[in-house]
Amino acid sequence: MISIINRILDWFRSLFWKEEMELTLVGLQCSGKTTFVNVIASGQFSQDMIPTVGFNMRKITKGNVTIKVWDIGGQPRFRSMWERYCRGVNAIVYMVDAADTDKLEASRNELHNLLDKPQLMGIPVLVLGNKRDLPGALDEKELIDRMNLCAIQDREICCYSISCKSKDNIDITLQWLINHSKSGGAH
Amino acid sequence: MAIKRDKKEEEDGGNMFQNLDKTSVLQDARTFNDTPVNPRKCTPILTKILFLLNQGEQLGTTEATEAFFAMTKLFQSKNPVLRRMVYLGIKELSNLAEDVIIVTSSLTKDMTGKEDLYRAAAIRALCSITDATMLQTIERYMKQAIVDKNPSVASAALVSSLHMSKTAGDVVKRWVNEAQEALNSDNVMVQYHALGLLYHIRKTDRLAVNKLVARLTSDRSNRLKSPFAFCMLIRIACKQLEKDGGDYSDSPLFGFVEACLRHKNETVTYEAAAAMVNLRNTTARQVSPAVSVLQLFCNSSKPALRFAAVRTLNKVAMTHPPVVTSCNLDLENLITDPNRSIATLAITTLLKTGAESAVDRLMKQIASFVSEISDEFKIVVVQAIRALCLKFPRKHNTLMTFLSAMLRDEGGLEYKASIADTIITIIEDNPDAKEIGLAHLCEFIEDCEHVSLAVRILHLLGKEGPKTIQPSRYIRFIYNRVILEIAVIRAAAVSALAQFGSLCPDLLPNILVLLARCQMDTDDEVRDRATYYHYILSLQEKGLIFNYIVDPMQICLVTLEKSLAQQVQEKSSTKFDLKSVPPAAVVTMTEDTAKEPVPEGSISTVPAKAPLIQSTVSSYAEKLQNVPGLQSIPGVLFHVSEPVELTESETEYFVTCTKLAFPNHLVLQFECKNTLSDQLLENVRVQVEASEGYRVVKEISIPRLPYNETHNAYVILQFPDQLALTVTNFGATLRFIVKDCDPTTGIPDADDGYDDDYMLEDVEISISDQIEKISMDKEAFDRAWETAIEDGFTESEDTFNLPGMGSLEQAVTKVVKFLSLEPTGLTRIADRSSVMLCMPGMFRGGIEVLIRAKLAVSNNGVSMQFTVKSAHPEVAELICAAVG
Repeated sequence: MISIINRILDWFRSLFWKEEMELTLVGLQCSGKTTFVNVIASGQFSQDMIPTVGFNMRKITKGNVTIKVWDIGGQPRFRSMWERYCRGVNAIVYMVDAADTDKLEASRNELHNLLDKPQLMGIPVLVLGNKRDLPGALDEKELIDRMNLCAIQDREICCYSISCKSKDNIDITLQWLINHSKSGGAH
Repeated sequence: MAIKRDKKEEEDGGNMFQNLDKTSVLQDARTFNDTPVNPRKCTPILTKILFLLNQGEQLGTTEATEAFFAMTKLFQSKNPVLRRMVYLGIKELSNLAEDVIIVTSSLTKDMTGKEDLYRAAAIRALCSITDATMLQTIERYMKQAIVDKNPSVASAALVSSLHMSKTAGDVVKRWVNEAQEALNSDNVMVQYHALGLLYHIRKTDRLAVNKLVARLTSDRSNRLKSPFAFCMLIRIACKQLEKDGGDYSDSPLFGFVEACLRHKNETVTYEAAAAMVNLRNTTARQVSPAVSVLQLFCNSSKPALRFAAVRTLNKVAMTHPPVVTSCNLDLENLITDPNRSIATLAITTLLKTGAESAVDRLMKQIASFVSEISDEFKIVVVQAIRALCLKFPRKHNTLMTFLSAMLRDEGGLEYKASIADTIITIIEDNPDAKEIGLAHLCEFIEDCEHVSLAVRILHLLGKEGPKTIQPSRYIRFIYNRVILEIAVIRAAAVSALAQFGSLCPDLLPNILVLLARCQMDTDDEVRDRATYYHYILSLQEKGLIFNYIVDPMQICLVTLEKSLAQQVQEKSSTKFDLKSVPPAAVVTMTEDTAKEPVPEGSISTVPAKAPLIQSTVSSYAEKLQNVPGLQSIPGVLFHVSEPVELTESETEYFVTCTKLAFPNHLVLQFECKNTLSDQLLENVRVQVEASEGYRVVKEISIPRLPYNETHNAYVILQFPDQLALTVTNFGATLRFIVKDCDPTTGIPDADDGYDDDYMLEDVEISISDQIEKISMDKEAFDRAWETAIEDGFTESEDTFNLPGMGSLEQAVTKVVKFLSLEPTGLTRIADRSSVMLCMPGMFRGGIEVLIRAKLAVSNNGVSMQFTVKSAHPEVAELICAAVG
């Protein structure tokens, strides 16, 4: 009986404190952006994905927060369009394939290019080093170093090492995201 | 709420889209970026953008891209109305904005998704943003969609494939199997679209089309159910029949079309019948079943069927008179049809085929309801009357009265112009009708609201009026215009008055008085004209009057202006020679607008307008001025020949040659096109083997000729001094350096290429390349012809036999084409078996040429007596010799 009342109370609460946030997910191709969206949306991991041509729009509800994710393709021809979808979002999530050290430099350049855009000033950035389950994957510290994240001073920036496959650190990532919704998270 | 407001606006009589401003609408489009999306606000804004685009508003690339990306944000909304507007927006902006492929993924998701409402529209939008290179990424989805169970999805995919085959034919060809499967669909539309795509893929391959049609037509158990697909099949079959030619009677295709006459669907039956009567080379017996179907339709209770049948009969009335005659009775019944469109078509059809005796009765019928039909159909009637007048000249009285009554009615410019045209044609064709016709036209301009028509009629009055028995009666009408009308018409009226003054000596004093009055006009142009004419007329010198009023010089004004400017600039002491200026291009009146019984009757027929020809010579002269190395040619460009193809059209290199004649030089302009995607050509030039007497002055090559581009190479030659040598042939070779290159980027693989050449067909220099046509009417020609010898012209004459000419017409066209001159006025046909052609022209260097050819049918072909008079003896001889 109490549980029912609690549930009704929760529902009421969610009506009043319902929150929406918008974030853009970018990064080089094959770093696992679409996979990440699938994992946080439904917890399902799929090995064979096709490259995203353009963008995918997904809405994910976690608790009383609805997250709108713009998942943009990472192939070179789409990179010039990242900025258009990053304007005015609550956070930019930048995905890096931590196990592919060859592409790290390119990834770093693209990130700094993107964040140099005046229109994106002050938007918090979350850098995710994906594929930590693979041998030779860089950890947070190495990633911060290699991506030269210390140079970014004008905004909040954070870096996590995650794995979509083994669902490592997905929870803290989600928590960070929810904390950055409009009111900074009601919880 | 929003709807209520809209309604209110509508009631106010305002269109909510009327005063849209592009900038403010694009500003509004920024709300697309807002979150959360408000479909109620966004949908009208999208509608406004679409409205602006469809009104012809131009969007810059940045503007379009900005709007497009803002619109992509709307994909987050699940509102179906908004989403469908987004699809439409994508389609409209797809070729204006950049980076449109960004929505590929979202659209593929929609086209494969669960929401049926989105799928078809998403396919159409997807195909509009996909170019040939991106097509492979969506190929799998397209194949699936073509065979989708949902008919709207399959149809959308098929039609989109058809559109895409224009840009990516090779990829679409791979979808044949899917299209084949779609052909078995139960849905009528899908079947139709599938057949359309299959045919389109195989269109160029005649055998494949034959096979397709044969399979679909012969199969007894065939599953082709869609009447639309049947109609399509009938059209394909007829196209094949026409292409194959020969006798239809044993062709299975013809059998199929005939069998379709018994199809249970009326659309199919009609299509088959219409196709059969429109087929060429059919015998009366072959067509008769189709005719009986049409006849049956004429009596149908459905207006659409009656209309279709009578319209088809109207179209074929001229080509298959017996067909229509057998339906005459049914057509008679349709005259009183409550549907005026049907009645009009029925009457005009009867007029075309009927006997002279029926004309009066039919005209009375039309008159009873002509005020009720639309302008479009009135034009159909007018055209029928024109054909009738040419057929039965004696009936001109009835018809002319009818036309003048129509002229007085309300109507648009196009309609009035077609009536005036018809009257003018009748006047020109039938001397008996001239007086009445002119009288009607005079009356018409008394109250004519169309300036262009009034000017035309005044000009005609000036030309024809003086030749009538009592010219004075027209003066009053014309002078009335001077008093009552606007400046443009007044000026035309003054010119017309001057014509009377110059051609009717007994009216001259009166005209001079009138012109003197016109000199007080408020308008400059009118005053100028009046002063000019008054002065010349008052001199009373015949030659002067003739040269400056009756038959003024026809000179290309643009070139004249340029040459005069040049003369002034150079301050040269030599006298300016008017003859160095090329004569004005003659505006060729297409035969059918002039007098041919035009294939009128189709409802959409709009009277062909004389094309606005900006003198080709002057436009070429301008272009040549911009080519370095060509400015140095002395003299003014005199004649431009029609381009000649020196290669087959489907070869590696495509070259056409245009011959440009200067007084002493000939410039050959070679338009070269490279059709090989893996070659870059450099230093492309044409080498000609100049024949005796010609001297190559200069060659101008094309430095770079990439794939699919057309550039010009030039060769400048000097004409031989001996005129007899000018008519000749040059061998020509295309020479160039080939560099193999990557077909997609066009960047050459290696720096050094190799020399290559390509044989072209010979360049033929004929007499016609050196003569420019001038316009002169028949009388002026006759006068010039008579006085030619006195003026120091030389005559050259010869008689030829033109073997292998089937008819006089054929011979006439051949001669005219050979000289590419314009026969003046109507050629005199003494009797049925002989014709006289008069052709004035101007040889390069400003030498006048008069040509007269008498053609007569003889035992073996056509014989021709050919006479040339020219100020230059060699020219006369040359032309005579060249004809032989």
